[in-house]
Amino acid sequence: MLDVQSLRKVFGGLVAVDTISFDVPENSILGLIGVNGSGKTTIMNCINGIYDATEGVINFRGTNLVGKKPYEIARLGIGRTFQVPRLFRRLTLTENLMVPVLEDSRSNVELTEKANALLAEVDLYRIRDNHAEELSGGQQKLVELLRVMMLDPDLILLDEPFAGVHPNLCKVFLEQILKLKDAGKSFILVSHDLTSVYSLSEHLLVLNQGQKIAEGNAADIQHNPDVIEAFLGR
Amino acid sequence: MSSNRLVWTRTSIWLGFLALSALGLGLLPAYGFSLAFWFYLLLWITLASGLNIMAGFTGYLPFGYVAFYGIGAYAAAVTVKMHGLPIWAGFIAAALAGVVLSLMFARTMVLRGIYFSIVSLALAVICRLLIAAMPEDVAGGSYGISLGFSNPDGAYYAMLALMLATLLTVTWLAQSRLGMALRAIRDDPDTAETVGINIGTVRLKAWVLSAVIASMTGAIEAWYTSIVDTETAFNLLVSTKAVIFAVAGGLGTVIGPVVGTVVMLIVDDLIWQHFPVLNVFLLGLVIVLLMMFLPSGIVGSLIRRKPFLRRILF
Repeated sequence: MLDVQSLRKVFGGLVAVDTISFDVPENSILGLIGVNGSGKTTIMNCINGIYDATEGVINFRGTNLVGKKPYEIARLGIGRTFQVPRLFRRLTLTENLMVPVLEDSRSNVELTEKANALLAEVDLYRIRDNHAEELSGGQQKLVELLRVMMLDPDLILLDEPFAGVHPNLCKVFLEQILKLKDAGKSFILVSHDLTSVYSLSEHLLVLNQGQKIAEGNAADIQHNPDVIEAFLGR
Repeated sequence: MSSNRLVWTRTSIWLGFLALSALGLGLLPAYGFSLAFWFYLLLWITLASGLNIMAGFTGYLPFGYVAFYGIGAYAAAVTVKMHGLPIWAGFIAAALAGVVLSLMFARTMVLRGIYFSIVSLALAVICRLLIAAMPEDVAGGSYGISLGFSNPDGAYYAMLALMLATLLTVTWLAQSRLGMALRAIRDDPDTAETVGINIGTVRLKAWVLSAVIASMTGAIEAWYTSIVDTETAFNLLVSTKAVIFAVAGGLGTVIGPVVGTVVMLIVDDLIWQHFPVLNVFLLGLVIVLLMMFLPSGIVGSLIRRKPFLRRILF
């Protein structure tokens, strides 16, 4: 589905991502882990067009994403959540969910019903007319995921979905991710919550200072000496 | 009550109110009311609402909004005076001038916040200087253009029609998908783009719409006063007042700029009547107090304090 080849991103003299290659098969979850500043979010930003890759190719179902604008990439079927949730703070929850589908040919009534049904699934329907800025951080993350679901993308980039979220909400979040996975979606998951990443991801990529230091399944990664050194130091 | 039914109900009430207001305002000339106050009330409601499309819905505050107003006034005056065409042709010329100028300035929207505001202000000054420097037989030079005729009643009705058209447009915008996209851009343009909104195209639509409203207003004011000169047509006070009125009522709401304009003009009028010497000081004080205690404007602050009003006011 997604094939990243020799991706490199340089900011001035800083090499944030150094010639990294990986792929994300259909209906799979790829975990991206690494300490702060290792390049995880930069890779996400290159995939969804926030940053232009300095070098490399990002192929999504036969289309090279490099040079495309974020809205074009979203319309190709790639959704994204952010480490710090980025909702439209003065739009209601229902409106927040409708923004990605404004170009949709369905009627407003249909789209509102779909948005409200999603809100009902996570028990937020009763506050659907509240502004997003009135939600807690965890609720905002949840609404951000619902907003991605409205777009119905095939590949979802999740940046630290569990950070700072109450365990009860984490559970709801996990349920939604698994439900989407069952529906055939693929994910790239960035998280410092290693337990969740290990349990969810079929394949993991470990980054350190912009370079790939290991990849494989959870069992391989957990015992890899380079990974242990990068995370815990010598 | 369901959300859709509520939207339908509040829109119907608002449209009914607009229809009644239009009827009342339309009868004023017939009953011999002095039109000056009412003409300028309509003018400022129109300008504040037009500016609201850019500043309130999209988050771009164009301090140089007067450029569109001025170019509209000049386009109409040149069409009527220099080419001998009727006033309606002047209005068409004004609208076209607004479109052309807004497209020329569209590139400035890559800037954000105060940088955009300052650049738009500079462009308004450049427009004024360019027109003042033109030969007299082209744009009247620094003395301006006298239309040689005036029709205050006609101009009043034209302004009433433009104000209604503007308010109907803003009402539609507030409930349309375009309006939702604009408000999303206002809150976070980068995120709006990552969820699939072509922010360049959407912003451009709002920009052109907002510009045409200002240029048409300028043209009608030219007809009302029958004289156009660069100092008046490109006076930065036009932008300033439109901003103050819109902010006083509440940017991003439909009725905010209307309420803000009405309240501020009445306050201004009262101050003039009772404290003419302290006029500017007292008006400034009112604005400062308003921003201190109602930072989101009258309607905006009301909605923030009582969130349920969001479903009624818009």
